[in-house]
Amino acid sequence: MQRDDEEPDVLELDLALLTDVRPDARFERPMEPNVRETRLLNDLPWVRSVGRLEMTVATEGWKFPAPPVELTPPPPRIATEPPAGRHEIKLPQLPDKDQPPKKPIRAKPTVDTVVFKDRLLCLLQPPLDGLFDGRQLEVPFPPFPYQLEGIAFLMPRHAALLADEMGLGKTAQIILSLRLLFHQGVIRRGLIVCPKPLVFNWARELKSWAPDLPFETIEGDPERRRTAWFTSNCPLKIVNYETLTRDSDHSSDPRVAFDVVVLDEAQRIKNRDSKTAQVVRAIPRARSWAISGTPIENHPDDLVNIFAFVDPERIPPDTPPKRLQQLTSDCILRRTKDLVQSDMPPKIIKDLEIDLSPAQRAAYTLAEKEGVIHLNELGDTLTVQHVFQLVMRLKQICNFDPRTGESAKMEQLLSDMEEVAESGQKAIIFSQWVEPLHAIAKQLKRFNPLEYHGKIPQPERTPILDKFKKDPDAHVLLMSYGTGSVGLNLQFTNYVFLFDRWWNPAIEDQAINRAHRIGQKSTVTVTRFLSRETIEQRIATVLDAKRKVFNDLLANAEKPATMGLSEDEIFGLFDIRNRPKRAA
Amino acid sequence: MSVPPVSTPITLGFLTALQEPSGWLGGYLVTNSWGRPLEFRLTTAVQPNRVQTALYGPTLTEYVLADLIGKTLVEKTATKPDLIVTDVPAALALRSRLEIPVIGVKVGGVELSTDLTAFTHARSSIGLLIPNRFAADRTAVTQLLERIDPAVDLAEPFTRVREAISEARKMGVTNRAA
Repeated sequence: MQRDDEEPDVLELDLALLTDVRPDARFERPMEPNVRETRLLNDLPWVRSVGRLEMTVATEGWKFPAPPVELTPPPPRIATEPPAGRHEIKLPQLPDKDQPPKKPIRAKPTVDTVVFKDRLLCLLQPPLDGLFDGRQLEVPFPPFPYQLEGIAFLMPRHAALLADEMGLGKTAQIILSLRLLFHQGVIRRGLIVCPKPLVFNWARELKSWAPDLPFETIEGDPERRRTAWFTSNCPLKIVNYETLTRDSDHSSDPRVAFDVVVLDEAQRIKNRDSKTAQVVRAIPRARSWAISGTPIENHPDDLVNIFAFVDPERIPPDTPPKRLQQLTSDCILRRTKDLVQSDMPPKIIKDLEIDLSPAQRAAYTLAEKEGVIHLNELGDTLTVQHVFQLVMRLKQICNFDPRTGESAKMEQLLSDMEEVAESGQKAIIFSQWVEPLHAIAKQLKRFNPLEYHGKIPQPERTPILDKFKKDPDAHVLLMSYGTGSVGLNLQFTNYVFLFDRWWNPAIEDQAINRAHRIGQKSTVTVTRFLSRETIEQRIATVLDAKRKVFNDLLANAEKPATMGLSEDEIFGLFDIRNRPKRAA
Repeated sequence: MSVPPVSTPITLGFLTALQEPSGWLGGYLVTNSWGRPLEFRLTTAVQPNRVQTALYGPTLTEYVLADLIGKTLVEKTATKPDLIVTDVPAALALRSRLEIPVIGVKVGGVELSTDLTAFTHARSSIGLLIPNRFAADRTAVTQLLERIDPAVDLAEPFTRVREAISEARKMGVTNRAA
């Protein structure tokens, strides 16, 4: 152990640092700076494209034909000062909240319309509802909704058959459709073909429903007609079937091509091989419209032959009748009065069975007895014409006794006419023959009868109709079925008498519908005279069964049949022992 | 802006645009004063991308409907209208790009900007709109409307235009517009 007073041992340490200096080879070389390039700040910044910021759009347009100058809208109507005095102001009807709003009636492109521009033109037309309410187009009265639908049906179609029941205003629908197409500039040349007695009717209806549409009738001497066909620039022409057939060289000339040809009473071409049918089919045209309340008068072939004009490609040869409806339904529009009844006053049909007067009965019985004996005596030489002659003879006796002039029908008619005249009304009386009409005229002299039949010269017919319409004392118009059953508008008449019956119910319906048609404001009473226990009653039974066939054919082509009496049925009217074999 | 003399027939332009999955489609119908079609034009679909949508911001709709679709349609159509009617409020801005009065029909359910003034007229079954900036057009517009056939309803032709656009779409026309 170390004591505190002992001195510690001290050792000297050499703290000097010995340095060894040696040269470094790196410092033997001169220094070289390391240079690196770098971007300066004024360089463009980095950019990534995000695509085009500006937007572009492409367009496609369609220009439609401009309406002709003469059909451009008239200047706005200037308000006039109302006359002094009290006025009844019709307040606008408020919409019924409970009634759903009516869908506007508009033309739609058909399935056959393949060109987009044509489809567009159809779709872009304004609704028909507002056009005819008297504000835009001048019309005698606003068309009924079903008529607007008819116009919407016709306008887009190049092939159409308007087959509405008689009296529903087919003429007005056609005229308004033509008028709108002319206004649109879609058509510029039109031709209406109609039976001769209806030319005046068409002219009158055109003035009424299309006062802004110029028209002319092709008539007169050959040079005048030639001018009308080739030179005249009148947009709408009317020609009757007979003149058309006569001018077939002109009408088939490509230079007279029409944008639309309207065929009134198209059943006139039901015989495909007739000259009329051939001439009509040869007219160069873009649109083919046919009108007929009775497109099937006797046989489904009637319809096929009308379609040879309307759309020749639509019905292939030898098409079975049951396929007709399927093939043609897109081109046919048919409405019956039952369908549009709410728009029309009712029609009451009275079948008045009348007993023959004693003199008539005696004459009838004798004529029938002798007639049947005669028919049976004819044996193998018997033809339907022989039977037909007997039928006619008996029917004439049912009208008037040939010896005494007695007539049970006439007595009844006199009584009915008293009532008609008393109430200030007017009546039309139809007969199959002109002679009974003369006899009736004599007996109805105090009712100022007017006659309208085939023996009245054409120029005198229109004044007769005008007189019947305007003269309050002219209560009765006597017409033959042949002359007065088609196309005439006699809707101011409330009574129709069928003094005798026609062979074909379609013709009878046409006659009845002279009075029961659009514009009629009151009930129309139709009296069909029928002599009891006579040939008239037998024929009526057969015809009544056939009357239904017409509508069935258009709705369902399962029942091809003839509408009038077939040969077999005519033989069946009498008890004939030896019928010709071909008719059995 | 001048109103054509009374003897000159006036023409109306009806402009609409539909927003579809493929973008905005424009349709434009020019009619005479009876509402009968004279010319129709439609556009291909305009579909702004995300960047365009972001960059155009709130001005996008007006740009697409007024500048792009509306102005192009009116300028490319040969028949010049005296009055343009639209059922798309944003397209009313077209007025500032053209020297033609532009009015709108007041379609239900659309919130209206305070930049618009509503008014009524017998020629429209629904209310009408005019941009406040162009309130001075009102007199001329009224004079023009008086000259339109009374049966015309300014709200009606848009149904036709939309049907025509729909038909065009069905037939593939909207893809080929050029």
